[in-house]
Amino acid sequence: MTLQSGQRFRPFRCLSARCSVPATRRRLLGRVVSQWLPLSLLMLLVVLLGGCHSEDTSVPTDDDPLVISAALDLDVVAPLLDAFRQAYPQIPLRFEDRTTREVDDSVVGHLEGGQATGEGASRAPDVVISSAMPWQMARVNEGLARRLGGPEIERWPEWARWRDEVFAFTFEPVVMAYRLDLSRHMLPPQTHGDLHALLATQARWLSGKVTTYSPLSSGVGYTLAQQDARYSSRFWELVGAMGRADTRLETTTRAMLEGLSQGRYWLGYNLLGSYAMVYAQEHPEVIVQVPRDYSLVLMRMAFVHRDAPHVEAAETFVKFLLSQRGQRVLAGQTPLFSVLPGVTGPYTAARLRTQVGERLYPILPNATLLAFVDPARREAFTDHWRARFQGEPALDEAVERSSGALAPE
Amino acid sequence: MRLLVVEDDALISRSLVEALTPLGNTVEVFACCSDARAALRQGGVDLMLLDIGLPDGDGLSLLAELRNAGDRTPVIILTARDALDDRVRGLDLGADDYLAKPFELAELEARVRALLRRSQQRADNRLGLGPLSFDPASGAASLFGEPMALPHRELLLVESLLLHAGAIAPRETLEGRLFGFGEVGSNALEVYVSRLRKRLKGAGLRIRTFRGLGYRLEEDEG
Amino acid sequence: MIEVEGSLKRRLGGWLVVTVGVLGLALMVEAWVSSQRAAARAFDAQLQAAALTIAEAVRWQDGVPQVVVPAAALQILATDSQARVFYAVLDDDGRALSRNWPVDIPAAWQQALDEGGMSRDLTTALGELRLHAQRVASAGWVTQLPVQVWVGHTLEGRRALARSLFERSLSRFVAMVLLTGVLMGLTMRAALSPLRRLRRQIRERSADDFSPLAARVPKELLELAQALNHLFARQRQGREDLLRFTADASHQLKTPLAGLKTVSELGLRSSDPDEWRQALTRVHARAEDTSRLAGQLLSLARLRHLDQETALPALDLGALVREVALDWAARERAAEHDLGLGSLPAEPLKVRVEAWALREALGNLIDNALRYTPRGCQVTLHLAREGDWARLSIVDDGPGVADAALATLGQPFQRGGRQDTEGSGLGLAIVDTTARRMGARVQFANRSPQGLEVVLWLPLAKDEQGVTGALDAAANQ
Repeated sequence: MTLQSGQRFRPFRCLSARCSVPATRRRLLGRVVSQWLPLSLLMLLVVLLGGCHSEDTSVPTDDDPLVISAALDLDVVAPLLDAFRQAYPQIPLRFEDRTTREVDDSVVGHLEGGQATGEGASRAPDVVISSAMPWQMARVNEGLARRLGGPEIERWPEWARWRDEVFAFTFEPVVMAYRLDLSRHMLPPQTHGDLHALLATQARWLSGKVTTYSPLSSGVGYTLAQQDARYSSRFWELVGAMGRADTRLETTTRAMLEGLSQGRYWLGYNLLGSYAMVYAQEHPEVIVQVPRDYSLVLMRMAFVHRDAPHVEAAETFVKFLLSQRGQRVLAGQTPLFSVLPGVTGPYTAARLRTQVGERLYPILPNATLLAFVDPARREAFTDHWRARFQGEPALDEAVERSSGALAPE
Repeated sequence: MRLLVVEDDALISRSLVEALTPLGNTVEVFACCSDARAALRQGGVDLMLLDIGLPDGDGLSLLAELRNAGDRTPVIILTARDALDDRVRGLDLGADDYLAKPFELAELEARVRALLRRSQQRADNRLGLGPLSFDPASGAASLFGEPMALPHRELLLVESLLLHAGAIAPRETLEGRLFGFGEVGSNALEVYVSRLRKRLKGAGLRIRTFRGLGYRLEEDEG
Repeated sequence: MIEVEGSLKRRLGGWLVVTVGVLGLALMVEAWVSSQRAAARAFDAQLQAAALTIAEAVRWQDGVPQVVVPAAALQILATDSQARVFYAVLDDDGRALSRNWPVDIPAAWQQALDEGGMSRDLTTALGELRLHAQRVASAGWVTQLPVQVWVGHTLEGRRALARSLFERSLSRFVAMVLLTGVLMGLTMRAALSPLRRLRRQIRERSADDFSPLAARVPKELLELAQALNHLFARQRQGREDLLRFTADASHQLKTPLAGLKTVSELGLRSSDPDEWRQALTRVHARAEDTSRLAGQLLSLARLRHLDQETALPALDLGALVREVALDWAARERAAEHDLGLGSLPAEPLKVRVEAWALREALGNLIDNALRYTPRGCQVTLHLAREGDWARLSIVDDGPGVADAALATLGQPFQRGGRQDTEGSGLGLAIVDTTARRMGARVQFANRSPQGLEVVLWLPLAKDEQGVTGALDAAANQ
């Protein structure tokens, strides 16, 4: 089945049942913590007793498995992990599903003497996966990633890797979503312009019914807002309009989707397409719309931690992610969309391109992302955003210009 | 005297036989090295006339063989090769004299005579020419058997001239013998020669002067 | 004897290799240095551009600087080779307005920084960094605090660019060397083709072909071709000389042989022993002349083919003259003449000549003197030194030679106008040839009241001249 541009995005049919299990991340995390905490403490003890023995144990064991610190829903990624376990049964693996901030903390936690949250604070994770691209980039720039080599790396598209240290391995469109009911009252938005017009004309009706990622408290939301501001000159008008419509700010796509499903929200802006598409399959009342004018694409990035206890296994895992086999699982059994050209399946970047057209604007792993984590810039940006959201006029033209609002790059 | 002629040209060897036989010699002719070698082995040869170019080998190698075997038989080399290097080589190898073809018979006879005389003198340890003789053992000269009472230097002159017997005694040799190697007046030697000439007058002997070269004691012809 | 000493191709090839090797090494060093420099220049410019871009983004609010780091600046910093990127915007007190700097910037550097900018290398845990800093101040209504913009990146880009520049130079150079080699080979083939043509032409010549070569040769081969032509000309001349000489010689021999034949025939016809005797006497005399003639012809032929190449030892002329004089004086031929030695110099006179040739020449002069003067005449050999020359003369007091004939005396078969006397006329030709071979000169002069003087001027051996010259000089003082 093909997806024609401008048509409503209808969920793919060929998703595995495994992915469709609804579970909130928090619950999952709680379960993981309660399951693994005693084990981890035991492991810590073993490490302390064994002195620096841990340095040498590069082969992961059941007691000391390969740790993947990831901001990626376990139920989405489960088929990939299964495939990995099948391919490498000798490598025990622990997948720690966290928020982007927790992931970022886990990267440096072991350096700061266990101040950070989580049970893995005393130990660096082996593999780090996150959708908070600027933070990932910043950590890699600081030299916390290990450089990889090999045929899988060579084959990986150059635009989706940086320094052969960090690899963008998914291709997740950022979408709008609305309740099916919406279309009964008004023409659903297909472009950013539509959305802006809708917010302007239907402000009263939509008030409190619109939701989006919070750029203030979510890394992904901030990244998307920054990127929107770079691409669209009228983004700030949209922000103003959203503010006037009393738009609710969420920190996860799942929360937005659940709000839509439950009827709290009618319209959602800047949701992660990967989650939304899966969700919409199970929830026919939720319609996913890939914007017709332009659509951002988020790429989840993975790297092997510099201080990974199991370097070899970690490299194996990342290379598996990037391999034909891994990408095929990604394309066929997860909505994460495969990046690797030549891989076939319902979820591939190539197929998305043919369906949606060339209006996809992936956020690429490059040095520009580093600017987004600059505290001064972030502060200036969020201040400006807050002001516009709250209906104040432009505080500082320079912020808009430097973030691309006035002169799109 | 027994003479050996080693020569492959029949005309020349016959001439040699005819020229040398009347002088009271027995002349045997061989045309090749091997025959000559056999004859030499028998001994009793007084002089050999040796051609260099022979059909079965080089005459010079035969000469070398002879001298290496300690045979002092006088040898005159004959060669058509008008080459001085051959002469030098021949003399180096122990030849006593050298004649280049074509030669005049008279020249040959004179050389043969002189060589035979020298060889004879060496044999009986006496020097002599015609009536003049000198006994190196006693140091006395005699003319027609009569002892000559000669002053020392004239005696030395007689000895030196007889030593060269028919050949030119070089001036330097005579001066060295008579006066030692000190400075000597240019005509000092001439004085002694002229005294000796007077003594030999009528004896059938004369001393011929070669200007700047030396003197030769000769028998008067006829 | 021709010895093979290497090959031209190999020699040229060797020189090519050496030249290209040395040149190549120098070029490679140069290429390496210049690619490093070019890469450094290019990337330093990018650093400056990034610093400038960041500086542009600095704003002053009430004199207090604020900065929003432009994303583009970081992309410029990172370059295509994805270098690690570091920046810091500091106020004058060293407080960071914005930074992702991994290390502290040395205070001294911060203090030394002025508007001109500064570039530094810095080694950190992340590897070597290249830094660039710029001090930014802006005019304003109120006092504005200046800021320092520091940017830096790791060196991957520089290294990659330098390497690729160097590799490009290297591949260009290798291509050039290969091309040069091929061209050199072709050139060598082309350049040597005239030589091959010449070789073929000479190889195809018949043995008796002495005509000059008709070939088109390059300038470099002209001398060789000319030398060959000269050689051919000399060979032709030599052959012609030989033919002429052989013809002359056989003619010379035929005449006396014809005489011999007629005389002996006449003698055989007669039955009178007196006539036999007369015939035999004539035969004997003619045979002697003929054999002498043959000997002289042989000498002349040998002299003409004298090997001039070998270096001769210096020999004492005085000793040789004495030896020859003694030899001739003892001969029967000289019995009727007064052959003597005149004055000899006290010092030895050294000359570099072939001893046998000089003996031959002297012998001929003596023989001539004996032959062409009446019995009882004096023949005297003199030797003296005059400057760098030895003057060897043979003087007789015979009738001499007609003045008109003096000039042609040295030529073969001339008898100095004395056809009446016996002799072949070759003797003086031998002397003349010998003299020319030895670098000597021959002079013929009549003496008064009568007689002939033949003078041989022989050049003294060079190394002897010095010594004797010095002795002379000492004696003259």
